[in-house]
Amino acid sequence: MVEKPPTRPLTPQDWEALIDDFQYGGSRREKWSSLYPTPVLLDLAFSSLLRKDFPLKIPLLVFLEEFSLTLFNDPVHLDRLVELLTVIVQSPLDNIHITYALKEQMMVSATSILISINSFEEFDVRFTENVVELLLAVINRTNPGSDRHTRGIACECLRELEKSYPCLLSDVAGHLWSLCQSERTHASQSYILLFATVIYNIVNQKLSISILNTSVPLVPFCVPQRMLGSSSGLNKEVSGLNYKELRRAMAFLLEWPRVMTPSGMMEFMAMIMPIAVALELQASMLKVQFFGMIYSFSPALCHTVLMMYLHFFEAFDGQELDIVRRLILVSRETQQFLVFRLLSVHWLLGLLNKLVLDGEIGKKKSIVDMGFLFYPTVFDPLSLKALKLDLLAFCSVCFEMLKDKSVSGEVIGDGNPAVKLFEDGLFSVSAFKWMPSWSTETAVAFRVFHKFLIGASSHSDADPSTTRILMESTIFRTLKKMLVDLMLEFQRLVPVTVAFIDRLLGCQRHCWLGESLLQTIDNNLLPRVTVDYRLVSYIPILDRIAENDTIPPHGLLDLLTKFMIFLVEKHGPDTGVRSWSRGSKVLGICRTMLSHHHSSRLFLGLSHLLAFTCLYFPDLEVRDHARIFLRMLICLPGAKLRSILNLEEQMCGISPSPQSFFNAQTPRYYDDLKKSGGIASYIHLERVIPLLVKQSWSLSLSPLGVGSTKLGFLDSIRDNEASMDEMELDNNLQLQTLSETDRMVQPQEPLRVMDSKVSEILQILRRHFSCIPDYRYMPALKVKIPCSLSFESEPFNHVWGGESPRSGLEGVDALPAIYATVLKFSSSASYGSIPSCHIPFLLGQPSRSTHFSGQTVSLDIVPLENGSGDDETYKAPLTIELEPREPTPGLVNVLIEANAENGQIIQGQLKSITVGIEDMFLKAIAPSDIAEDALAGYYSELFDALWDACGASSNTGRETFPLKGGKGVAAISGTRSVKLLEVPADSLIQATEHYLAPFVVSVVGEQLVSILKDQGFIKDIIWKDSTPDSLLDATTSVAEFGRGLLQLTYTGDDDKDEKESHPSITGRKLGFIHVLIFLPPRFHLLFQMEVSDISTLVRIRTDYWPCLAYIDDYLEALFLS
Amino acid sequence: MLNGCSIRALWVLNNSLDTVVFSRRFPVVERRWRAAWLSENDTSIEDPVEDTVLSSLPTDSELASAFSERRRREGSLRGFGIRVTQSTKGSDSWVDDPITRHVIGIYINKVEEGEGEGENHLLWPLVLHIKGLYSILVLPLVEPKHVKAYGRLCKRSDCGNAIRKEESLSSLLLDLPSITGACMVAYAIGDIVTGDVIEPEVVVSASPSVGGLLDSLTGSIGISGISSRGKPVASPVPPSAPSSTAATGAVASDAPKVGSRPLDKDALQSFIGSALPFGTPLDLNHSNISSIRVIGFSSSDLPPQDIKQPAWKPYLYKGKQRLLFTIHETVYAAMYDRDEIPDSLSVSGQINCRAELEGLPDVSFPLTGLNMAQIEVLSFHPCAQVPEQGMEKQALMFQPPLGNFVLMHYQATCSLGPPIKGFYQLSMVSEDEGAFLFKLCLMEGYKAPLTMEFCNVTMPFPRRKVVSFNGTPSIGTVSTTEHSVEWKIITSGRGLSGKSIEATFPGTVRFAPWQIQRMSSSISSFGSTLDEDSDNETDSSNNMINVEDFLMDKMNKDLPPVDLEEPFCWHAYNYAKVSFKIVGASISGMSIDPKLVTIYPAVKAPVELSAQVISGDYILWNTLGKCPSAATAKA
Repeated sequence: MVEKPPTRPLTPQDWEALIDDFQYGGSRREKWSSLYPTPVLLDLAFSSLLRKDFPLKIPLLVFLEEFSLTLFNDPVHLDRLVELLTVIVQSPLDNIHITYALKEQMMVSATSILISINSFEEFDVRFTENVVELLLAVINRTNPGSDRHTRGIACECLRELEKSYPCLLSDVAGHLWSLCQSERTHASQSYILLFATVIYNIVNQKLSISILNTSVPLVPFCVPQRMLGSSSGLNKEVSGLNYKELRRAMAFLLEWPRVMTPSGMMEFMAMIMPIAVALELQASMLKVQFFGMIYSFSPALCHTVLMMYLHFFEAFDGQELDIVRRLILVSRETQQFLVFRLLSVHWLLGLLNKLVLDGEIGKKKSIVDMGFLFYPTVFDPLSLKALKLDLLAFCSVCFEMLKDKSVSGEVIGDGNPAVKLFEDGLFSVSAFKWMPSWSTETAVAFRVFHKFLIGASSHSDADPSTTRILMESTIFRTLKKMLVDLMLEFQRLVPVTVAFIDRLLGCQRHCWLGESLLQTIDNNLLPRVTVDYRLVSYIPILDRIAENDTIPPHGLLDLLTKFMIFLVEKHGPDTGVRSWSRGSKVLGICRTMLSHHHSSRLFLGLSHLLAFTCLYFPDLEVRDHARIFLRMLICLPGAKLRSILNLEEQMCGISPSPQSFFNAQTPRYYDDLKKSGGIASYIHLERVIPLLVKQSWSLSLSPLGVGSTKLGFLDSIRDNEASMDEMELDNNLQLQTLSETDRMVQPQEPLRVMDSKVSEILQILRRHFSCIPDYRYMPALKVKIPCSLSFESEPFNHVWGGESPRSGLEGVDALPAIYATVLKFSSSASYGSIPSCHIPFLLGQPSRSTHFSGQTVSLDIVPLENGSGDDETYKAPLTIELEPREPTPGLVNVLIEANAENGQIIQGQLKSITVGIEDMFLKAIAPSDIAEDALAGYYSELFDALWDACGASSNTGRETFPLKGGKGVAAISGTRSVKLLEVPADSLIQATEHYLAPFVVSVVGEQLVSILKDQGFIKDIIWKDSTPDSLLDATTSVAEFGRGLLQLTYTGDDDKDEKESHPSITGRKLGFIHVLIFLPPRFHLLFQMEVSDISTLVRIRTDYWPCLAYIDDYLEALFLS
Repeated sequence: MLNGCSIRALWVLNNSLDTVVFSRRFPVVERRWRAAWLSENDTSIEDPVEDTVLSSLPTDSELASAFSERRRREGSLRGFGIRVTQSTKGSDSWVDDPITRHVIGIYINKVEEGEGEGENHLLWPLVLHIKGLYSILVLPLVEPKHVKAYGRLCKRSDCGNAIRKEESLSSLLLDLPSITGACMVAYAIGDIVTGDVIEPEVVVSASPSVGGLLDSLTGSIGISGISSRGKPVASPVPPSAPSSTAATGAVASDAPKVGSRPLDKDALQSFIGSALPFGTPLDLNHSNISSIRVIGFSSSDLPPQDIKQPAWKPYLYKGKQRLLFTIHETVYAAMYDRDEIPDSLSVSGQINCRAELEGLPDVSFPLTGLNMAQIEVLSFHPCAQVPEQGMEKQALMFQPPLGNFVLMHYQATCSLGPPIKGFYQLSMVSEDEGAFLFKLCLMEGYKAPLTMEFCNVTMPFPRRKVVSFNGTPSIGTVSTTEHSVEWKIITSGRGLSGKSIEATFPGTVRFAPWQIQRMSSSISSFGSTLDEDSDNETDSSNNMINVEDFLMDKMNKDLPPVDLEEPFCWHAYNYAKVSFKIVGASISGMSIDPKLVTIYPAVKAPVELSAQVISGDYILWNTLGKCPSAATAKA
């Protein structure tokens, strides 16, 4: 870089730019610093300052002052500075270049520089001594001369030095006092302040020094010895204040308050008050002297009096009212700047706060009686109104407190003053009611609500009483009522109210207030809202209510249902997209409810609402969504449903191996975790029998809520879930009724006619149920899912460090292995606890290439194995045993723990195992006392009995059947459905034989019997070569059951239509296949397949209707794919 | 010495460019701050969350960017002021207090020594004063613990300040007189920045007004025509009342006013050098300081014997002696003409004084002559001696400063009754046409010498365009502008004195069809969802009772929010604003009897008294429409 001539003088323009850039900072400043190193810059500055005609002397001095910390670090420059000061101060005036202004700025800047770089301690004291001496010389000539203002400034310089180095001037205090006495020009304020500062420091440092003594000459000035020596020197003189002299000095100082400017007075009082305390002067003396300042319109003086009041609390006893009155009057002075009016209210609030905190309850009484003074006026700016309303809130809090205190029954005021203050105060912003919701009036009004509401409480935990007080406060009651009325009348306020409630809900301490408000709204607003289009504006608040599980949902559901009916009724050609929008909004609330409430609470009303919507709502999309929600509500257990709806929130919460915490002792823990992350990509646990339904909608979800906590959660609610089952089942019938009438009709209690047929059925069922174990008290029925575990060698080695291929080893020996594998299972579905599996040893699967090469080598070792079989070597079979509490599909999460050969611990999550509805299919348990050859008959009878029991108008609906063990009982609540499968008979028969053979209990119909019997897949059942008559019987009986039965339209056509139209579409009837499937823990699924040439009608009955959703998919997958 | 006031730094920013045009740092004060900061950090337990107080001053560029960041975050220069939905944690409006529009905090992104990356450090309290094109920021010295306390207030996670709370903004402000001082500094600087230093107006019968301090100085000393700058300009009273922009319909107070002078850096520097050389204010009286700078002193300016010359009176008067008082009153009225809302009428007055008296005499006059029941507030110039017991039944004694000064402020009710009585009715006969009727009575019960110099009535329609107008008043002339109709009842030169008159004015006014106005950015910043109406407006039209409500509803949909400095949303109402001037006497009853004015040491000096009354917000609310009101307390 080319070296610039460093001595090139800077022009005034350069200096201006330099000063600007220094202040701007950053790169602009660095540009100069690199160009002109500090010493050079200072040299240039000094020479410019010495030049007579340099125009920017004052700005340059200010610049040196402002950046003194970075510029002055060499005593040489300080020498030059002091020299410059002397030159400028002593130069004669020419009023052009050497002016008083320059002299004053020079003194100020030099002083400032010395103080800010702490030259006294960091450099030589002589700089300070020289400057002080020069300044003392300036102030020493008290006369009415033209330099009077400059003398004042010199006093200020000395005062700053004295402030920074306390007691620097204490030795010359006597001289200063006499100067102070003799100065009579306007500069006397500075002399007085200087002398006061010296006294203050003497008192503050507790120096025993005579301030009358003028034996030490003023000039030449020497820094007092005690400031130079070690700290011990200072202590020596601390023997006690010279009270008498100091009091005289104080008396002198107090003579002259009238010469001070307000700013000077502020400074003066700041020193006088501590001196008065230290000298034990009577505070009342100060009060007499200075209290009148509170009537000044200078804010500084008012505040000074307040400081005095805070300092000498006792001396002002009884004058609080004067102060309060005065402050509130200041806030009403329209001549004042707004900020000072605001400040005066703040001071008042601060003062009142102190009074209350000090428990001055007596004084409060008289203060709150002044409440009316705090009323805002029409033309008060909104900010002032807001603060005055704070004052009113404060008063109302005091009223409430006073009410508490006067338990004796003394009534303060008439009516309820707290509420009166609230209502009167609110008047000033009452326009918020009809203004747009974003208006400032609205913001102020809701701020007031908040203040009045939580006014009496605090956010500190140490304050236990406030909740009760708030709850009982009349303000709270008033506010609740008011908010409800407001929202009823002015819908535009709904979002604002919601924001208000959100604010409370978001506060740990006050969220119960928000909840309480929501409850009030739920109780009082919802019944009063008119059901019309304007209801849409209430959506936000309804959403909040839906979110809150402390509020029973029935009121809301009721309202939403009414609204949906209204929408459907009012639907016309012009509502179009609006219907969609409104319907979607309502469904949005339904969704919120689903994700925040227990399904059981919602079930009745919500299913009602959703069913109505998906049947009648004009908009297709809304109908669709309603259907999805309905399905979810019906089919998914509550906890899981909520977790699905809150999917996004939970996603981040899933850790790769939540259980690894428990064996985190190994030092390689973190390492392992990292490696375990992608473990599922090469260790596979697979079902041996793939599921028919691959991508069922409920099964496509990623694992949720894995880990031990989830299991614990399930355990704890097992009983609830069980009882929920019962309830949901009970509701089923009502749901079906609903779809026709759209009103809930309580199902009539069926007449219990016990004819012989019924009693026979009951007997069969009793027998059957007594075989079913009650999972709550004994081992439940198990569902077994065969699986196999395998892992791929190459990626495994890649991660776990095995060399591949290992030198010296070939073939199987070269493959990695895992030892002592433990598979742990968990599921969010209610599958009970799933026992873990142990696999002692497992070889890795050779990768494709090595596999083949290995194959050629090891041919001679395993010659008998065929191609498909050799895979089995690398697969460990295992069985997952579930004890379902509900026969629902779900996911089983798999956690693997194993040891690698080198001792590393492998941990991680494997791909989850999908459990389908068909895994739940079990053969019904036969009583042990049935002979083998009677078994077929038993099943057939059982089928008939269950078929009957699951009919809607069944006579057994009210019966209960004891389970095995006798503690639990079960009731049957049947549901019916139909499915038309348009498949040719032969493929249907084939699929049935393949998948459903074990569950077939009887086949009816000559043709069908002959076909099936020949195939031989189905055995040991009842074959009925029935006549057409009996066939007719069967259908008739079905039709009878169906009469008056109301079905969800979307599950299929009406039975009657079916019967009528059936022959024409389906052609030749071949017969019936009856299938009985047992669903653990205690449910049943019955098919009556009416087989004909080109299609088959499956009538389905079950006592666990949620399974219908899966069965639909299952049957389609089974027969149609 | 915390009770005093010291300034660490001050900045003047250009509002439109967001740049610092002037800055001043006070290293002596900064050293005190630094010491306090270091000892605070030594003593307090290390708390990484809280410890984000800025330890040193920001550079101009850092400050400017932090300030514009705050402006962005807070929606406007001043900010929201109270917690709204847009408020974010850590910002001023989170504190939920209107004073945060005046005392602000900003976050400086600064790399502190030894720290790897910059983080946001709180700089508080900055007193914000907006004057003309400029924002003035003044940073007073407080203790780091106070800054931390404020940091806690604006980062609190709960729902906001309760009343009973130990740590509150109110207690902070009460404990920190330096903030009050900084406000005064900010206002003083603001006057210099824009160049409009105002002296109170004093009227004498001969000439409309007499000049300020410089005039009396130059007059007495015999110098004329010095000083190109700093000559105080007389301006209408009240000087300090923040003039309400609202009456004319302007909304944004943040909008810079045109016509401000460019920044005079020298004047600023010179003022700071005398007023607060080390950052501690000594005297903020600009006239005094500029006089000292401009005129200086001569050895012949002798101070009085045995008595100290006050700092606020650097010069003594020489010449013909006289004592002038002018009573200025501003009338605020909200006239409703309704049974349920009482009219409200208030007078805010002040006595301006000019004491051309030699030496340092005391002047006193009794306050007992006043009808004290009507006077609510009295506050005085610092030169006045107010006895500890308060001012009732006492004489007011003061030692007058030189030049024009405000001796006292007062608030009063109107003892004479409203100067203009009557009603204004506006009824929309269709969406675009309104029929109106005025019935006014002027100066009822007012006797000579009270003279009404002029009286205008304005009907502002800031949101509608006036197309045509029809009607003749019983007296006076009518003119229209684009957004208003103006009725001049009494024009200047034809003063009304000694009698009352009645004036009626029926008429109709037609507007251009209502159009949805462009949303100002301030609305969108308030972020309300406007689409909420799309679903429920279908049947709203049927429910409306009359065209007026319908129109009201329609127009209110895009009503912008007003600033917190406004008393209410002027645009939302129909009203007529009366402006007038009355001379001859006060209408509150405030008066000074020249015979009772005493001067000590006694001197023969004539005492002159004048009075004038002007209208402030003198509003006739449309009797048929909505109107703002406030509850009045029954004492």
